Amino acid sequence: MPGKTNTDMADQPCRRCKETAAVLVVRKEPLCRDCFIRYVHTKVIKHMESFRVRNADPNHQRKLLLALSFGASSVSLLHILDEIRKRQASKTGRTGFTLSVIYVESEGQIPDQDLLARVPEAYPDYEFDYKVPHWVFNMVPENDKLLDLVPPEARNFSSDGKLMSLLKSLNSVTARADVISTLRTRLVVEHAKASGCEGILWGDSTTRLAEKTLAETAKGRGFSLPWHVADGQSPFGIAFNYPLGDLLKKELVSYVNVVGDHLPSLVLESAPTQASMSSKNTTIDDLMKQYFESVEENFPSIVSNVVRTTGKLEATSTTTATPRCDLCSMPVSDGRFGINGWGGDQHARLDTVGTSNGTQLCYGCTRSIPQQSATTNGST
Amino acid sequence: MPPSPCALCKVNRALILRPKDHSKLCRPCFLSTFEAEIHHTITSSRLFERGERIAIGASGGKDSTVLASVLKTLNERYDYGVELILLSIDEGIRGYRDDSLETVKRNAQQYGMPLEILGYDELYGWTMDQVVEQVGKRGNCTYCGVFRRQALDRGAAKLGVKHVVTGHNADDVAETVLMNLLRGDLPRLSRTTSIVTSTPSLSADGAGKNTNIKRSKPLKYTYEKEIVLYAHHKNLDYFSTECIYSPEAFRGSARALIKNLERVRPSAILDVVRSGEDMAKLVPGSDEGCGGVCASAVPAGEEEEGGCGSANGRSSGGEMATMEDQLSQNEAAKANGLEVEITSSKIKKSEAPLPLTVGKSRKVPKASQPRKEPKKQVMGQCKKCGYLSSQEICKACVLLEGLNKNRPKNHIEVGYEQEKDVNGATEAMKQLDVGAG
Ligand SMILES: [Zn+2]
Ligand SMILES: [Zn+2]
Ligand SMILES: [Zn+2]
Ligand SMILES: [Zn+2]
Repeated sequence: MPGKTNTDMADQPCRRCKETAAVLVVRKEPLCRDCFIRYVHTKVIKHMESFRVRNADPNHQRKLLLALSFGASSVSLLHILDEIRKRQASKTGRTGFTLSVIYVESEGQIPDQDLLARVPEAYPDYEFDYKVPHWVFNMVPENDKLLDLVPPEARNFSSDGKLMSLLKSLNSVTARADVISTLRTRLVVEHAKASGCEGILWGDSTTRLAEKTLAETAKGRGFSLPWHVADGQSPFGIAFNYPLGDLLKKELVSYVNVVGDHLPSLVLESAPTQASMSSKNTTIDDLMKQYFESVEENFPSIVSNVVRTTGKLEATSTTTATPRCDLCSMPVSDGRFGINGWGGDQHARLDTVGTSNGTQLCYGCTRSIPQQSATTNGST
Repeated sequence: MPPSPCALCKVNRALILRPKDHSKLCRPCFLSTFEAEIHHTITSSRLFERGERIAIGASGGKDSTVLASVLKTLNERYDYGVELILLSIDEGIRGYRDDSLETVKRNAQQYGMPLEILGYDELYGWTMDQVVEQVGKRGNCTYCGVFRRQALDRGAAKLGVKHVVTGHNADDVAETVLMNLLRGDLPRLSRTTSIVTSTPSLSADGAGKNTNIKRSKPLKYTYEKEIVLYAHHKNLDYFSTECIYSPEAFRGSARALIKNLERVRPSAILDVVRSGEDMAKLVPGSDEGCGGVCASAVPAGEEEEGGCGSANGRSSGGEMATMEDQLSQNEAAKANGLEVEITSSKIKKSEAPLPLTVGKSRKVPKASQPRKEPKKQVMGQCKKCGYLSSQEICKACVLLEGLNKNRPKNHIEVGYEQEKDVNGATEAMKQLDVGAG
């Protein structure tokens, strides 16, 4: 039950303004509608400091790409940022930034045309694009090594065919889900660059970031965690920003309902995360989602603390010369590609020279797309 | 299912599905692969030195029994030239260690290894039974856990042994990585992922002279399920106990996650370990580049003992709730600037069951004293015993002080007639709480 709109709450005054009756309890504080909305906005504004009007060049409108998924979080983000801009405009006659919105379809979740049409209707000031994941194969530069991951027989296929045969070659639902979400990120990055955006705004809530932290840890991507949760320049050469990074998923679900208006109609009902006990159909992402949904219920501060802690990790310093993973594009320092050549593996050799087909994948990506090691082809 | 040939020798019938990678192996190939991988770990991390005396922390459980057996096999097969001895700790709980110590004694004969059993009375001057007598049943798990954490090092120092190997396996390490992420404890995360740790500890004469006790985990990359299989197929004599303590909440939660992850993707345990090693290098102030094998850089300190029968010496089970309260108070304090509006009396205790934990239901968390912000962990040495500690006086010494202060003057022998005096313990526990974050 999102937001705990307790009936017995009605008698309680708002803890902040002490005037209006509280409509919900947020982190143990009973809040009224206005104070709750202010609470949410404040948390977002903190992440948008550098996009205040006074930092804006009057001759150049800064454009940011917002990745929309039609979940409660990213829909809230769009709405909040729109509100922030309106306030900037009314106060100063200018705005600190403008938005471009992109929706990348997720597998088996094709929103109806109605829903797609509602976004530009409600937020007419912004460009709105709709993409499917496999388009990434058409968007990356022609010589991008991502294309080498497509099985050879499918290299001449349409992007759709490329993705299908790549997915078919993978051995688990976890691997397929992992590859798709990685491709989605890369697509958003490509789109941002192509459309002249200087940064990407991700709609990840604290809860989602905590999920991601543990999921990426479980997938062997601990090395790249600092780039997945914190605001700042990403290894993609474009800034990543997580404006909802201090808000819980359930708070954003409440936000949609408390604001009401057209917001609820923009949220695509996602199927509840089932405790699908068949491990064949469960992904690592599902597992962590389920886990943090329950932790969030009773231990919200622990959820935030996981994210705060991860944010303290210091990314390894990289240059443009640092070799990248062909799939996720993360810098792999020391050239520690592949799953070989560390204590937990029996092969003493590192895959610095790449694999038989010349691809270089980081540890985590190698788990999803197992590679024929160049040497195991020849000698052992 | 038609019988399939062994994936390695292609001759024998495959009888074993390897938990680690689901390959199908025959019995001899499984056993030799299992041993070869541990040999690889030992040699590639250069764990042993010729001529070294090494104490195996032996509890009679599967992990340490398999460790002893494998190390004996490898030491002979590859001529490591190390001297292996078994070191067991007797907490002094009447009846509790009887069976497991019997097992260790049989192991000593089976493997032809010398065995040393050191009691808490020898190490601390108190048996656990005496502690219980003094503090009552409620707080005694705290004592046992804190004492146990140091016992192997103190024991090794007493024996003049400078290297202790423990049976921590890949599951334990992976569990610890997730647990420390959930607890937000990066320093401990980076300490515990290292295969070799070292503890400046007190020397045999107790003068506070530093003897560097090295600790290592040769089974760090070995799956718990494979350890069980190995013990089974080698017919090893081990003592299987159900852990009598339910794990501390964060650990229990992490353990359940690891089990689920393993089901979804068998390599996940190893992948978490790998992530942990990589993250250790990203922890601010860490010794980057040593790859987690650099012994001097990573003090063992208050390393958590994982696994059944080795630790989990805590009874409260409300760790998550306690930490939640503490964190939310910090958040509130920060948000309100000066005033902490929410007092602990206003906070409703969450009685909801912990998510995904294994085992029995837990007690309602004890009332939380508003705790101070967890102190930055700066590792130093205990002023009293020389053991590595983030506090001036280590936890064990704090507890001992409390115990000794309240020891009746006329107390000469193990007395069961004396009155219970909880005060000393609660005092000591309060001090402990501050440092526990
Ligand atoms: Zn209010
Ligand atoms: Zn990668
Ligand atoms: Zn075989
Ligand atoms: Zn001490």
